Amino acid sequence: MQELVLIQPGRAAEKEFAQEAAAAALRREFEERLAECGPLAYRVARGVLRNSADAEDVAQEALLRAYRRFERLRDRARFRGWLVRIAFRLAIDRVRSSRRREVRETLWSRTAPKPSTEDLAAASEFQGHLERAMEELPEKQRLVLLLAGMEGHSLEEVAEMLGLPMGTVKSRLFFARKQLAEKLRCHRK
Amino acid sequence: MPSKMKTCKDYRTAMTDAAAAAVEPSLELRSHLDACAPCRAAFGDELQLFAALDLGVRTAANAEVPASLLPRVRVQLNEQAIPRRSWIPAAAVVAAAVVLVATMLFARKFGRDKDPTNPAANSSARRISPARIQPAPPVVAHIEATNPQDPAAMNAHETRREPTRVYLAANTAGPRQVSVLVPSGQKDAVDKLLDALERGGAKTGALVAEKSEQLSQDLAVLPLAISSMEIEPLATVSEESAPGNETTRF
Repeated sequence: MQELVLIQPGRAAEKEFAQEAAAAALRREFEERLAECGPLAYRVARGVLRNSADAEDVAQEALLRAYRRFERLRDRARFRGWLVRIAFRLAIDRVRSSRRREVRETLWSRTAPKPSTEDLAAASEFQGHLERAMEELPEKQRLVLLLAGMEGHSLEEVAEMLGLPMGTVKSRLFFARKQLAEKLRCHRK
Repeated sequence: MPSKMKTCKDYRTAMTDAAAAAVEPSLELRSHLDACAPCRAAFGDELQLFAALDLGVRTAANAEVPASLLPRVRVQLNEQAIPRRSWIPAAAVVAAAVVLVATMLFARKFGRDKDPTNPAANSSARRISPARIQPAPPVVAHIEATNPQDPAAMNAHETRREPTRVYLAANTAGPRQVSVLVPSGQKDAVDKLLDALERGGAKTGALVAEKSEQLSQDLAVLPLAISSMEIEPLATVSEESAPGNETTRF
């Protein structure tokens, strides 16, 4: 005679199920934001790095980092600004480390890394000067300039995204543009 | 006071500010631009510069997103474990830090007591453990039985006069212990005595101390002086001790 045993889930199993359900909900919530905010992270990184491949790596890292810490983000409405800051910080770190690496490499090799075909096509002379001038901007001004330059971002949205007063955003944008103009005046054709 | 006339150079800053802020020029600037052709041309150049700048910023800020980005991220998300907040690593780090600090504090304290340059201190520290001390006679009794000329006895005598430090020594084989006060200057000598006792034979010669004249004077015993006695016959005594009289004389 075959015995049938009714297995009742214990507390540990229930806890595990609850955790898995919460994780699945978290994943769904993150996925919803991924499609909208993934390009934003990439563009911020691209604006800093001026290199598509590096920007993609940084954007991926920023999104993964955001996912790992997504549970701790109390106000999910601030996800965009949070992600922008993560991507911007990672891109800045990447630039600094690549500069250090460049210095090390030029000690024994004078050959500069070749830009990709895409980068060559995108970079006109003026654009090159502009992006180099942007690199020299203070970080806070540069982030505001990039976000304000992105399509679909009004200054109000930038202010909301960064948690800044509108006047601060306008002021940073003004000084960033003025500083860029000073540097580009001699390169204007 | 006559108002100072603005030159074209003065208007250049206002032109740059107006172009940088992307706002309409002020009335004063507009009237100057209407009157001054070179400044009008310069302002036009300034506007062109900022237009080129905005275009360049937009180009830099709106780069085309590679199609591979989101699939790559999704693959990475699938490979990642479910993000759960775990306190175990943090607790392990805190516990490790506590153990490390406790070890350092213990090592510091132990290292201060156990100075490698002072073997006597080390041996005393080792000997202080009550479990290792053999039963020993009390130091006070030892003094009474010793010749006052003996330096060891003199040394032990000082223990009664200048108690500064407490050592523990077993008086009997039982768990009861006796506290012995030892002067700070005689610590090493007492250590040697305890060591000798521990080995089975008390060697008082091991105690070294300077003999002091003052100590000899302290220990000098005056001769017993007995005054003259009056002797009475016993009969008188027996009369006085009659019933009713409770006083007894000796």
